[in-house]
Amino acid sequence: MILVIAEQRDGRLNRASWEAIAAAQELAGAEPVTVAVAGRGVNAVAADLAAAAVARVLTVDDAALAAYTADGFVQAFRQVIDAVSPAYVVFPHTYQTRDFAPALAARLGRPLVTDVIGIKADGGPAFSRPMFQGKLVADVVLQGPAPHLVSVQIGAFRADAVKKGAAPAAVEAAAVTIDAAAIRQQAEAPFQEARQAVDLSQAERIVAVGRGIKQQDNVALAERLAAAFGAELAASRPICDNGWLPMERQIGSSGQTVAPKLYVALGISGAIQHLVGMKGARTIVAVNKDPEAPIFEVADYGIAGDLFEVAPAIIAELQK
Amino acid sequence: MKIAVCIKQVPTREWQPRLNDTGTWIREQDVSYEMNEPDAYALEEGLRLREKHGGEVVVCSAGPARVQQVIREALARGADRAVHVEDDRLAAADAYTAAVALAPAMAEEKFDLVLTGLQSDDQGHAQFGPVLAATLGVPHSTIIMAVEIDGARMRVKRELEGGWFQHVTMPLPALLTIQSGINQLRYATLKGIMAAKKKEIRKAAPPADLPAGLKVSALYVPQKTKQTVMIGGSAAEAAAELVRRLREEARAL
Amino acid sequence: MARETLEVDVLIVGGGPGGLAAAIRLAQLQNAAGGEPLSVAVIEKAREAGAHQLSGALLDPSTLADLIPDFKAKGAPLESEVHEDHIYFLTPARRVRLPIVPPPFRNHGNYIISLHAFTKWLAAQVEAEGIDLFTGFPGQSVLFDGTRVVGVRTGDKGVGRHGTRKPTFEPGADILAKVTIFADGVRGHLTKELMRTLGLGPRWHPAQYAIGLKEIWEVPPDRIAPGTVIHTLGYPLRMEEFGGSWLYAMPGGRLSVGFVVGLDYRDPLFDPHAAFQRFKLHPDVRPLLEGGQMVRYGAKALPEGGWNTQPRLYMDGGLIVGDAANFVNSMRLKGIHLAMRSGMLAAETAFAAIRAGDTSAAALSQYKAVVDASAIRDELYPVRNVHQAFGAGMLAGMAYAGVAMVVGDHPGRDLHGHAGHTRMRRIADYYGLKKADDLTGSNAVVPDRKITFDKLTGVHYAGVAHEEDQPVHLLVHTEVCHTICGDEYGHPCVRFCPASVYEMVPDGNGSRRLQINASNCVHCKTCDIMDPYGVITWVPPEGGGGPQYDGM
Repeated sequence: MILVIAEQRDGRLNRASWEAIAAAQELAGAEPVTVAVAGRGVNAVAADLAAAAVARVLTVDDAALAAYTADGFVQAFRQVIDAVSPAYVVFPHTYQTRDFAPALAARLGRPLVTDVIGIKADGGPAFSRPMFQGKLVADVVLQGPAPHLVSVQIGAFRADAVKKGAAPAAVEAAAVTIDAAAIRQQAEAPFQEARQAVDLSQAERIVAVGRGIKQQDNVALAERLAAAFGAELAASRPICDNGWLPMERQIGSSGQTVAPKLYVALGISGAIQHLVGMKGARTIVAVNKDPEAPIFEVADYGIAGDLFEVAPAIIAELQK
Repeated sequence: MKIAVCIKQVPTREWQPRLNDTGTWIREQDVSYEMNEPDAYALEEGLRLREKHGGEVVVCSAGPARVQQVIREALARGADRAVHVEDDRLAAADAYTAAVALAPAMAEEKFDLVLTGLQSDDQGHAQFGPVLAATLGVPHSTIIMAVEIDGARMRVKRELEGGWFQHVTMPLPALLTIQSGINQLRYATLKGIMAAKKKEIRKAAPPADLPAGLKVSALYVPQKTKQTVMIGGSAAEAAAELVRRLREEARAL
Repeated sequence: MARETLEVDVLIVGGGPGGLAAAIRLAQLQNAAGGEPLSVAVIEKAREAGAHQLSGALLDPSTLADLIPDFKAKGAPLESEVHEDHIYFLTPARRVRLPIVPPPFRNHGNYIISLHAFTKWLAAQVEAEGIDLFTGFPGQSVLFDGTRVVGVRTGDKGVGRHGTRKPTFEPGADILAKVTIFADGVRGHLTKELMRTLGLGPRWHPAQYAIGLKEIWEVPPDRIAPGTVIHTLGYPLRMEEFGGSWLYAMPGGRLSVGFVVGLDYRDPLFDPHAAFQRFKLHPDVRPLLEGGQMVRYGAKALPEGGWNTQPRLYMDGGLIVGDAANFVNSMRLKGIHLAMRSGMLAAETAFAAIRAGDTSAAALSQYKAVVDASAIRDELYPVRNVHQAFGAGMLAGMAYAGVAMVVGDHPGRDLHGHAGHTRMRRIADYYGLKKADDLTGSNAVVPDRKITFDKLTGVHYAGVAHEEDQPVHLLVHTEVCHTICGDEYGHPCVRFCPASVYEMVPDGNGSRRLQINASNCVHCKTCDIMDPYGVITWVPPEGGGGPQYDGM
């Protein structure tokens, strides 16, 4: 049996939960998958999750879990795991998972493989995960007795690949008691803040502009393209060196390393210093007038053409 | 206040990946090392808290003899002394193993606050802090952007995804993992480097029964598997085809 | 913020083989003599000892054996003993084996080493002696008391791009010493300051330099036996250019491949990096590399002028050693053992002077006397005119080199040299054209990204990193660039720089402006040497920045 730990906040499901279910289904083969979700007022979320082809959905609904705390969630899921004895526990690799899952693993005395990007059925199974800042990938085999704990990188498994059930799965309350007095953290309500620095590593989509943009005035075209894609604007080094965009938007070896779902490289030739910062992107689009540019070697889709014609055409197409 | 900062020695950011003959780990020949960058921010935060609240900062590290390089650097930047859990088996230890190895020597010290970076630049498990907290039996919080200490309690600002933050309060002793960029790193001074030589580095052995940990069956450079699809035609045609493929094939929109 | 001050007996500026050998020797002398403790400090601009060290490298172990007789027991990292020597003359299509390997190219008994690894090991020996080795601290300027050198000021840290102090600002420290040993390497910027301020330069023999470019390749291990040493002359260089290649085979299929070009070439459109790339495509070289992988890259200038170009080696309170004093045997392509030897001799003089309480130039001139009586002179004096003879062309140079090898001490007059950059010709003179505004080199190669690479890719494999928010450390009087340089020389900086630091980019008004990509800099000093107008000055960037030459 494989247990998936879904994540919700204030009754809203974190979409990454579906990706964890997809990974679990891939890992499970013929084995049943159970989903567990914890919090306060999680029935609606559980009902959503029940649409997946899973054996059942377990809820842990407790006032002490209304706000997420590491101690509370370790308590809750420790009891769930003890009760259902899964072979694997699969988490989405969110900030919340990063906060409590390692402590949970330590309490269970089991290792945890984080940030998994692929599962290889042969050899154990082996879980592929990036190492050395994405320069390398490691296939990791879990040793020792079950349960084995695994968290999957956001975007590595496809939410739309989740197999749906013919009928909704059963939703059951797990037999868990939370000792509120043993929760040492007190969490306040989350708040949003104008970010001081742009954290491109969290961006889902990025439009990056390079030297091919030629002049500072033309950066506005890249901005419009980014807006049309719903993407963050970034740049290769020369653009930031010229002061056309701030340094914090620089991608590459002396800037940020990113792995968004979509990366559009506009007028970027693809110097290795840039490639090391973005080649982990899921889908890469390159627009460059030089068909021999190295960027096309890493791109999934390439348009060898004049970006001053192609970019407006893409904007127009996206706005249709 | 007695503050511990756990630091890790990792290959430099400029390191070019080279693999050993079996393709299961990196080739350690010709590797230059440095302090894990998030740990450097944790150290700086520890030094600032000491400047504000008094006490001492003790750097703790697990690994073979070579990790003395980063221990010395931390001492040069102002840490008061160090604990080094030394064992060649810890050279490639995963986060779980490293935490289990360090915990007994750290438990003896009865720290009020343990700080470390949110993850390592080499293995990147992002687990060491919470595992150590669980092993030491202290509360923890991760990816911290601000720390305020008020007597026996502390209020921290935790980063959530997508520009969200949250304040969390907890009693001391406790453990925090520090987000890079929380502060600005100071430089080591000549006097600091000279003073570091006279500071104590307590050596300790790890527990005899180290966990087996994770087994790396293969380590490799990621390979691109997809072929590049070159889209031709007029700008309008190419744009239409690209957007169609992004929607239907890549599902990136 | 208060400036730190540190007082020591001996300050050594530069943690390369010369400086570190001096430090080790001082510790040995102190250990043997006992008495008053001797305080020694070494400063080094690299983040870590060895990080900026680049050489072929072949080590003549003679000095090492004198300095650390049990060097093998102490684990000196020697890659491979040399087993085979070859020297070829390359034509565009084939190679001609020289009938005999001339004596200077015979390397039996020498070792192929990584100078990075070797220097790191020397640094560990220094630290084991309790000597303070401060890495990440460049010497910024020499501290004088009149004409007496009293120490060095290290570089400020935490200065922003436009010169403003960041919150982390840390002013440079003043390190005061009874004797300062300058081991700041080829074209050392402090030695340059000394030569200018104190007039130490030899009048008729300006220094000569070459640029060495190096790559490490990983090829199938059975392709070439470890310990094999190959040198070539000829292609792709023309008769008017001085230089050649090396190929050194190390264990595990690692191959050190490099190319040296004299920084006294005439063709303003010539590009040394392109010559190196072209060399790798030669039909006798390419098969060695094919299917392999380039894993490291770097470049560094090297002194070529030899014995006669040494500056005055001593001054009140100061001594100059190693590459900074041009102690390289360009015939043998070796200088590590000479740098170490000069470091040892300087240490001996400094130690005696401090014990005697007299560190004046007169007392320190003893260093020059012992250098003149040492193996350094034995090795360099007989070949003192060789590079200068190459100034008359490749064939004359080779003939001269041949005579020097056979006859040894040349009886006639010394040949005067010219500072290399003065030999670069204007485009109009060289090509007979009025104007050829062309940034592309006359020997440009389109990189195939398998055997040949562009400079920017190389920079990546040099592991270069600098604090990004700091002032540009290449001081250029840029008015020359967009006024006369294009017409006269076609912006040679974009070609002689091996790291794409200099770029001419459109200025938006139909003309070009110089863009300095300072953070690409590999600290080779070529620009400081080769710029035809002499308007480029290299100063050290914030400490710790620069290449990371792991395994080089």
